[in-house]
Amino acid sequence: MIDFSVNRVSAMRFWVRLWSLPLVPITILLVVFIIPAFFADFIAPHDPYVPNLRARLQPPVGFGGTWEYILGTDRLGRDILSRILHGAWYVLAVSMIGIAVGVVVGTTLGLIAGYARGWFDGLVMRLVDISLALPAMLLALALAAAIGASFLSVVIVVGFALWAYFARQVRAEVLLLRNSDFVARSQVAGSSHTRILFRHILPNVMNTIVVLATLQVGIAIMLDASLSFLGIGIPRPTPTWGLLVSDGRDFIATDWWISFFPGLAILLTVMSANMLGDWLREQLDPRQRQI
Amino acid sequence: MGLRTALMCKKFKEYAVLKYLARRVASSLFALLVITVIVFLLSHLSGNPVDALLPDDASQEQIDAFIRDWGLDKPLWQQYATFLGNAVHGDFGTSLKWQGEDAMGFVLDRMPATLQLGGLAILMSVVIALPLGVAAAVYKGTPIDNSAQMFALLGQSMPNFWLGIVLIWVFSVWLGWLPTSGMGTIYHAILPAIAIAWFQVSALARLTRSAMLEVLDAEYIKLARVKGVSESVVIWKHALRNAAVVPLTYFGILAASILTGSVVIETVFSWPGMGWVAIEAIRGRDFPVVQAVIIAYAVIYMISNLVVDLLYVAIDPRIRND
Amino acid sequence: MLHKKSKFSGAPKRVLTSMLLAGTILTAAGVTHAAMASEKVVIAVSPLGADSNLYWTTTGAFIFPSMQTLVGNDAATGKYDNSQLAESWEHNEDFTSWTFKLHPNAEFNGEWGPVTAADVVHSFNIHTGDDAKLSGIKQLKTATITAVDDHTVRFDLPSPVPNFLFSHAGRGSLVIYSKAQFEAEGIEGYETAPAGSGPFQYEGREVGQSLTFTTIKDHWTGVSPEFDEIEFRWVSEPSTRFAMLSAGEAHAVTLPRDLREDAAEAGQSVLSSSAGAMQSTMLFTGQFMNPEAEETRDARTYAWADVRVREAVNRALDRDGILEVLYGEGVEALPVYTMDPRFPGYSQDLADRFDADYGYDPEKAMALLKEAGYPDAFDNAAIPLVVTSLAGNPEFAQMAELVQAYLDVVGIQTEMREQDWATGNTAIRGFTADFVTPMRNAPVRPAALGVQIFFTDQASPHLNVGDPEINDLGAKLVSETNPALRDELLQGMFTRIFDGYAHIPMAAVPASVVVNSDLVEGWSFPGSTSSGLSHYELIDLK
Repeated sequence: MIDFSVNRVSAMRFWVRLWSLPLVPITILLVVFIIPAFFADFIAPHDPYVPNLRARLQPPVGFGGTWEYILGTDRLGRDILSRILHGAWYVLAVSMIGIAVGVVVGTTLGLIAGYARGWFDGLVMRLVDISLALPAMLLALALAAAIGASFLSVVIVVGFALWAYFARQVRAEVLLLRNSDFVARSQVAGSSHTRILFRHILPNVMNTIVVLATLQVGIAIMLDASLSFLGIGIPRPTPTWGLLVSDGRDFIATDWWISFFPGLAILLTVMSANMLGDWLREQLDPRQRQI
Repeated sequence: MGLRTALMCKKFKEYAVLKYLARRVASSLFALLVITVIVFLLSHLSGNPVDALLPDDASQEQIDAFIRDWGLDKPLWQQYATFLGNAVHGDFGTSLKWQGEDAMGFVLDRMPATLQLGGLAILMSVVIALPLGVAAAVYKGTPIDNSAQMFALLGQSMPNFWLGIVLIWVFSVWLGWLPTSGMGTIYHAILPAIAIAWFQVSALARLTRSAMLEVLDAEYIKLARVKGVSESVVIWKHALRNAAVVPLTYFGILAASILTGSVVIETVFSWPGMGWVAIEAIRGRDFPVVQAVIIAYAVIYMISNLVVDLLYVAIDPRIRND
Repeated sequence: MLHKKSKFSGAPKRVLTSMLLAGTILTAAGVTHAAMASEKVVIAVSPLGADSNLYWTTTGAFIFPSMQTLVGNDAATGKYDNSQLAESWEHNEDFTSWTFKLHPNAEFNGEWGPVTAADVVHSFNIHTGDDAKLSGIKQLKTATITAVDDHTVRFDLPSPVPNFLFSHAGRGSLVIYSKAQFEAEGIEGYETAPAGSGPFQYEGREVGQSLTFTTIKDHWTGVSPEFDEIEFRWVSEPSTRFAMLSAGEAHAVTLPRDLREDAAEAGQSVLSSSAGAMQSTMLFTGQFMNPEAEETRDARTYAWADVRVREAVNRALDRDGILEVLYGEGVEALPVYTMDPRFPGYSQDLADRFDADYGYDPEKAMALLKEAGYPDAFDNAAIPLVVTSLAGNPEFAQMAELVQAYLDVVGIQTEMREQDWATGNTAIRGFTADFVTPMRNAPVRPAALGVQIFFTDQASPHLNVGDPEINDLGAKLVSETNPALRDELLQGMFTRIFDGYAHIPMAAVPASVVVNSDLVEGWSFPGSTSSGLSHYELIDLK
């Protein structure tokens, strides 16, 4: 059972173990994902949107290309590197906002459901069932056809695909916590339900949420890519990585660099996010509960 | 299982299982009802089948006749009531796109293809993930552990359509081992199944690893070691047996994720299953088939979850009280 | 820890062995699979909009090679010929009555007897029924048909239709089914295996996957393909089709432009149709040229209601560059969408003026915009560009992206709308379209037909640009029978469209197919059908 004392111990271990920070994933995340997302305007060598028809399909450096276009150019002569750098922001925004939607909705419902039980719990669990039973991809197709594909529709789909996992996990944690001594003590002491939920229970499920959210970064990015593949992602010419990979997929066997480098950016980011998530879990979740 | 539970009379156990089952079925049916509303609204908000199914130069008479024939001129609630009434009898109407085909019948015809692919994908992910997870646990903290986890992670870090196309080029074109696409022999299913399965390997291997670690730490395993049972027997017989229920606990999410993956992968490999039907039907605004296919997906998901739940109950009766 | 490893090593070995074994089996099986039977031709194309054996219930995108129409197209020139069921035809002076004489020896495959006028009448009746969805069927619906004798049929039309042969050739508004089969087996007979009179016989289909036909020995036309079977495979991913071609699984595939180039570099052959098969354009939607636009589609709020903006849009585009990127070799610039040198109404004058009036001139574009007060003087300055792809036109998405980039350079604001074809159509048909969208004309319709569909209120009111003069000319054209006057009317319409910058014309494009150069020697087809492909009997194997 989790209680404050265990939590304090784990917090201490957290600081003690800071030296074991996974430097490789963090560096990769910074270089490939975070820094480009905020500073693409300063580091990108070319405009990611303007075609240069005289420089179509330039191969990358080392494969017959020049330093002008380090990672080569696409079919319209746009610099792949610049497009990846500029795309980072959209990938970051979609995954962060999408996950935030999932976290807020899922956590709130999960918290209340697990704490209040009764009919509300039943209702939330049915909603979780419904959400898990509807393939996100099909919902996305229908949604895109109904309201059109946009940044918003992609964020909605990502949030929809993720919230149920948070709700389920948080509820399960709360079920364990609500019977614990410190909650009982607070109830006896006359604390309001809101206070118990947000002051006592929420901090204790926070670890789980952080870990789960980190691990969902990969799922969000993959979902964004799949939506682009189906032609219902963030509209062109926004160079989200999913669109770049999807646009270049026809040329994997020939002009491979068009989809390879954006694919690599996705690969590095998702792997690093997952490794970071694993590390976080080890630090924050001493019992290695699985998700 | 506690002594007290074991002593509970059999009759009560059977009654409780039945009650539990009834409750689960009822809640699944409720979920399905809500899904029909969502699906119906979304598909009807998403534009008119006229525009997907009639040519650019269709005349007004052609359009009017089409709208009348398909009841598209009635109010939405009325269309929904008709739809629900028929759906209860298994009648989802006839396909607009595949002329003369019964919508649900058409979807059910394609279902074996998807289940076949999904089944193979589940099998593959389990067959790959279990040894990976076991190896990672046994060699915890060594390079073997790290590379096993890296390999597992790789599948989760590549867009599946991209992986699918790379697989086609490597194994079908350059090596010439397997057919590129389509359906027919078991060989046709291998590449798409890999493209779907790899994504799940990571999560499964991770679960297996931690379950193994827990088991390897358990008292009875320590006891077995003390008794001098050989280490490989300990691992393969005692530990793995206990860790093997991991895919079961994870089955619900696994099934959902593999069904979702099939939507994209079936398109890449021209695999004519439900995912392919779903995309074609939504693009063609074939409402009856869209509704049928999404309901079919939901039913598959719910049945698999129900089965998992029942297996749980069989294993651990305490869950019923949850 | 260490001692564990040694004891554990037995198990992985077993796993490894079984994996190797599995690998060997797979390899062996793969080799046998790759060895292809040379007598079966496989063509992989993107999936059709409809999957049905009842041709009239589809939009007419694909004519089965087992079926025939009345009029054929010459493989080399695309000109109408009598290679299909009609041996000869004639029309009266004002084009309201057309008489076709059938080949006397024409017969249906599979013992369903000779092809007679009764079969044509029967087919006409089912094609014009309520469940018909065929493109261009509207025209046939107004006709009456008479069987003059066993081998002669006459169509009588309420108004002059000089282009009547078009519907009976590659466009395929009417394909001939067997009446005898219908009487014996009913509609189910057609659904399971429609009898046709072409050089191939329908064998079967795998829904969503493929369609198979066998070659007929001693076909009544004397045509004899050099293979026994032909299979069409529906594969939506271009890279998968390319892989099929490269792996030798397909003889011929359709590919987007860049992949065609890659395939050619890899040693495959690209074959183009002998004539232009498709025209592409971007259309301004709404009745933007209507001085009194209706409230529902108040064209005056669109930036392109101003002719100076429309000219600026056209001037901003470097067509040579765009067409090179989108289509590559064999493509020609198109002065006016729906105008074609093969059909009446062609204006050499407009073709000659095209460079001067539509040529790439960003400075001029900017000057025009300045003069128009763009963007400040407009309520809706941003132009929504539709990003969409359509089966057969994968380049449409790129087209919008390129146009946007060029418009951006001269300062025209744009907004990209990613939407599927059906959504765009819903808006257009509902008169709520407020965007600039790619559009195609395939197969290229006779100019008189095309111009009415895309620019006037005659054939498709929702695509009417609202110009009173163009509508007026269109109305006159409907009843005009004198070829010279018709020519003049059409040229008048095209000139008006051209001078008013009423659209953004793009290209006249041949149909093309990529064949595996190890398997196929050649194949000529005129690009006269919706899919661009036809004349499969001419596929020349190595």
